[in-house]
Amino acid sequence: MRTIFRPARLLLNLSVLLMAFFILGPILWLAAHAFVSGWQYPHLYPSGFTFTWWSKVFMDSALKTAIKNSLILSPIVVLLSMVICLPAAYAAGRMNYWGRKVFMIGIFSANSFPKIGLFAAIATLYYTLNLMGTFVGVLIIQLLGTIIYMTWIPAAAFASVPRNLEEAARDAGASKFRVFRTITLRMAMPGILVAIVMSFLASFDEAQGSYLVGAPAIYTMPTEMYSLVQNYPIQVAAVFSILLALPSVLLLGLARKHIMGGQLADGFQLK
Amino acid sequence: MISLRSKNKEEGSRAVTRARPSFLGLALSLPPLLLVLIFVGLPIFIGFTFSLGFTKGPNRIISIIGQQIHVKNHWWGTFAAYSDVFHDSRFLGDLGLTLFVTVLSTVLVILMGLAISIYQRLIRSKQASVLVTLAIIPLFVPVVISAWAIHTFYGGDGFLRSFFAQFGISFPTLTSTASAIVIGSIWTSLPFAILMISSGMQGIPDALIDAAKDCGAPVARIIGHILIPLAKTPIIIAASFTAIGILGSFTIPLFLGPNQPTMLGVEISNFFGSYNRPQQSLVMAFIVFLAASGIAILYVWSNIKSAKESGRI
Repeated sequence: MRTIFRPARLLLNLSVLLMAFFILGPILWLAAHAFVSGWQYPHLYPSGFTFTWWSKVFMDSALKTAIKNSLILSPIVVLLSMVICLPAAYAAGRMNYWGRKVFMIGIFSANSFPKIGLFAAIATLYYTLNLMGTFVGVLIIQLLGTIIYMTWIPAAAFASVPRNLEEAARDAGASKFRVFRTITLRMAMPGILVAIVMSFLASFDEAQGSYLVGAPAIYTMPTEMYSLVQNYPIQVAAVFSILLALPSVLLLGLARKHIMGGQLADGFQLK
Repeated sequence: MISLRSKNKEEGSRAVTRARPSFLGLALSLPPLLLVLIFVGLPIFIGFTFSLGFTKGPNRIISIIGQQIHVKNHWWGTFAAYSDVFHDSRFLGDLGLTLFVTVLSTVLVILMGLAISIYQRLIRSKQASVLVTLAIIPLFVPVVISAWAIHTFYGGDGFLRSFFAQFGISFPTLTSTASAIVIGSIWTSLPFAILMISSGMQGIPDALIDAAKDCGAPVARIIGHILIPLAKTPIIIAASFTAIGILGSFTIPLFLGPNQPTMLGVEISNFFGSYNRPQQSLVMAFIVFLAASGIAILYVWSNIKSAKESGRI
């Protein structure tokens, strides 16, 4: 089985190449546009290279405001989400209380209502509460998208901490709080980290709801992209895309090991 | 194997503890529950009453602003807005396209996920880990960027067209077609499906596969009788999440799809904003929700079944 004969190996390498082309092609193609003066069909090479698009983005006050809004909003959303959801995740992972399953499925089904329909429906409530076009309004919209990650993934992480380790520590005389801090929390940390990364991405990338509720008063980076692709040359959108993708790429480096190690997948199996 | 056995034991001990009333448990789960109830449950409920023609109370303002509003004529409301939508030929086209794209993309995503995960499970090679790593990259690209990148790549000035032009071949512009939506949907859905399925496959003990091999079972049999059945739950979870995500998608069909017919996510937004017909817009949202709920039930059923099989319930 381990020795693959030649045609199979060729097929394999070919499929890796195709996959690389399919996944990376569009990103690299767009990214390259950030550094070119023009690039038109049917030329395979651009007409010249330039950095002017970068200064254009950093000079544009609307784009700068969008960057600032995004960088302020997302950390607040993640922190709020942690405060609201992590205790519930702990309860769902460790206590077998009545209503636990209803809670988990309720959170899940709230997530399966089409987002765009929810945002249309939420307008009524937002007008009543005077949240339309406000910072708090956008904050709540983004918060809603993080709840499923911040409850389900940490719940699975808390559930998988072995009880006998905690009991051993208690027997050795550690206080309840110390056991929680040094054993339970530490062992659940990879799951919590993955939840934080996923929540940050969910908030930072949220576009539809933030646009419907925030525009035209508040623009974030993704909502700015909607108008950007219509009103600016493609190169400006390319520069903005690179900036918008930077935090995600940094987070990828941080959490790649745990996400690929199954923390994300474990989080979505109902137990 | 040792880890597997200890895991079973742990699950066994969990099965003994029955669910019991706990004030603390309920209290701790209250904050996210309240948030969801107020900002998801309540708007959906109010929206549902509005779609049935309840135009008073919280729906007063939207009824004044919106056009072609139907007011209830029975105590329970009216189906007039629903009938509007179902008699709109544009909606039927949209529904067809939405279902077509959802089914095709989900099937392709799961097939790709299965192929890569099975390969990674049977042969631990460099190519396998490169494939998985590649497939996970889209998870970290904001969907607005993915949609726009795919738009430029397959578009009129895109790489594919420019590349084939070098050989005198005029490659078709894929942007603004259903194919582009399928490409975009696969691109954005692949990471989650791969993570789910490959994690399920990795959990299958080596001993089972080795035993089958020793008995002379061909690879196809190992795949069909061991790998896929044992990873059934993660596969169903991956499929239902993928389908629900694509069913309600907005940005991908907005950037990549044709103007008419378009996917329902875009049409909901069009009806709400551009056409100012909020009632019909919400009706479509509930139709999508109904389809998504059907898929969600499959997901919950599969989860509960697998929990029962392993003795957790």
